[in-house]
Amino acid sequence: MKLAYKNDTFNITLIVLAIIIVFFLSVPILKMFVGVGSDKLIDAIKDGEVISSILLTMKVSMWAMVFVIITGLPLAYLIARYDFFGKSFLEAIIDIPIMIPHTAAGIALLSTFGDTGLGDFFKFFGIEFVGTEYGIMIAMMFLSAPFLINAAKDGFRKVDPKLEKVARTLGANPFKVFFAISIPNARKDIVNGALMMWSRGLGEFGAVIILVYHPMTTPVLIFDRFSSYGLSYSAPVAAVIIGFSAMVFLIIRFIANRFD
Amino acid sequence: MSYLSIRHLSNFVAGFSLKDINLEIDRGEYFVLLGQSGSGKTRLLEAIAGLYKSEGTIFYKEDEISKKNPEHRDIGFVYQDFALFPNMNVEENIIFAGRYREIEEKEEHFKDIVDFLDLQDLLERSISDLSGGEKQRIAIARAIYAKPKILLLDEPLSAIDPTFRNSIMKKLKEIHRRYDLTTIHVTHNFREASYLADKIAIIMDGSIEQVGSPDEVLNHPKTIDIAKFLGFKNIFSTYLIGKESKADYFSVDPNLIHIVKEQSDCCDYSFEGKVEECMGITDHFKLFVSVKESQFFIKIPKRDYESCLSKSKQSVTIGFNEKDVAYL
Repeated sequence: MKLAYKNDTFNITLIVLAIIIVFFLSVPILKMFVGVGSDKLIDAIKDGEVISSILLTMKVSMWAMVFVIITGLPLAYLIARYDFFGKSFLEAIIDIPIMIPHTAAGIALLSTFGDTGLGDFFKFFGIEFVGTEYGIMIAMMFLSAPFLINAAKDGFRKVDPKLEKVARTLGANPFKVFFAISIPNARKDIVNGALMMWSRGLGEFGAVIILVYHPMTTPVLIFDRFSSYGLSYSAPVAAVIIGFSAMVFLIIRFIANRFD
Repeated sequence: MSYLSIRHLSNFVAGFSLKDINLEIDRGEYFVLLGQSGSGKTRLLEAIAGLYKSEGTIFYKEDEISKKNPEHRDIGFVYQDFALFPNMNVEENIIFAGRYREIEEKEEHFKDIVDFLDLQDLLERSISDLSGGEKQRIAIARAIYAKPKILLLDEPLSAIDPTFRNSIMKKLKEIHRRYDLTTIHVTHNFREASYLADKIAIIMDGSIEQVGSPDEVLNHPKTIDIAKFLGFKNIFSTYLIGKESKADYFSVDPNLIHIVKEQSDCCDYSFEGKVEECMGITDHFKLFVSVKESQFFIKIPKRDYESCLSKSKQSVTIGFNEKDVAYL
């Protein structure tokens, strides 16, 4: 290990503090797998309810991500490229979901899209948010969209506007420039943000449980088994979703490094 | 009507304005827009290309292109830093316009450009590992591939190693002729302008200050500000040489002012002065001589003098001839 400063006290302080945080971050994860045991883990993987909840969580989180790619990328591009009245306010609104408690977000969503005029409006088109996959999707989207929008915004800011201007002079209209130049050259940040949003969506609990108890996403299933049967029934499910989340995380890092 | 006619072009963006730009550019002309950094050169090129919303009109022959979007103006643009697309390799960059425009005989055209600009070995390369000169050739190739009516070059030589500038200037002229282009080239370098230009316009603070042939603009600047920008030294009131009507100011090349060693008829104008400073620079001395309220800057070759006239306030006689005086 090559250290920046040859000062033992300083270096030892850094290392000790770093070990403390690494302990708190890693030991509970390891304990999950070591404590559960392989038999229970295999049983959980074979459990149809567990698998269907994982597939549901994955699928809906993916849909939330796709929805934000379609609607959030234009928003991120607008913020990155143009100065307009209320831009700072808009950026603050995008960041609010990161700051508020997730259960509070769930209450806000239920108050807006539950048994309300707006809820009835969507019901007219066959979209209901309470107790449906749409509800899971909107809860995941509300709380994890900022990860994608902010990452895309940073990505677009890194794309030299001159690239887009030259592309215009070469015959591409603004839509074609957006798809041929802006998005491909911001792709690293967009992909990172999308994967981060997806993985955050997988773990969303507080807002989802208020809008949708059934069908159960994995975090709701873990809570359900813990409250109904105790730790020994919920721990294997938790281990499976932790393993799965770790896998997603490794994929994010792998893809991010490839784009470097 | 000229091939390209720019009339009353103005815009105001981010605290800087282009002010009532009027230019007439003929077909096949190599037009150089000369100005300091921040004078609005790039802004004017971008306005011509339609990349900034502007007032005024731009006509290509009879066609008012100022009403068209940039993608419909058929104007090629090469930026100072070349703006190659990082998400594409060299070949994809060059043929980018082919995705959106019908290019006649595109395969032959592509091959011709690649051969002429010697790009064969670069086609598969990523743009991240190219030299400045290679990037420049690719940016020019990309613009020419689209078969533009007008080519706009924004300081194309500034990111190039000075060793290669002369050969690249020559190449730019060849490209201009070979592809039958009308070129507007922006630069702050008046040597570059004098080599390349059929016509030069001086732009200062968003306004065109003078337009004319290279000889006219570079040797007879209309104002003191233009003269200073063009590197004119020794700008003084014509009263100093006894003129009253010819012009308000004149300039003399520092190399054409002589130190008069003894009374002789070397010069039409001679002045008694005092040496303020003398600096030895490689093959010449730089001498600053005060004459009345004015200070002359003189370059004298080292071969003519053994040492600098170092004694401060030493009296000298300096002189120059009428033929070497440039009236502003």
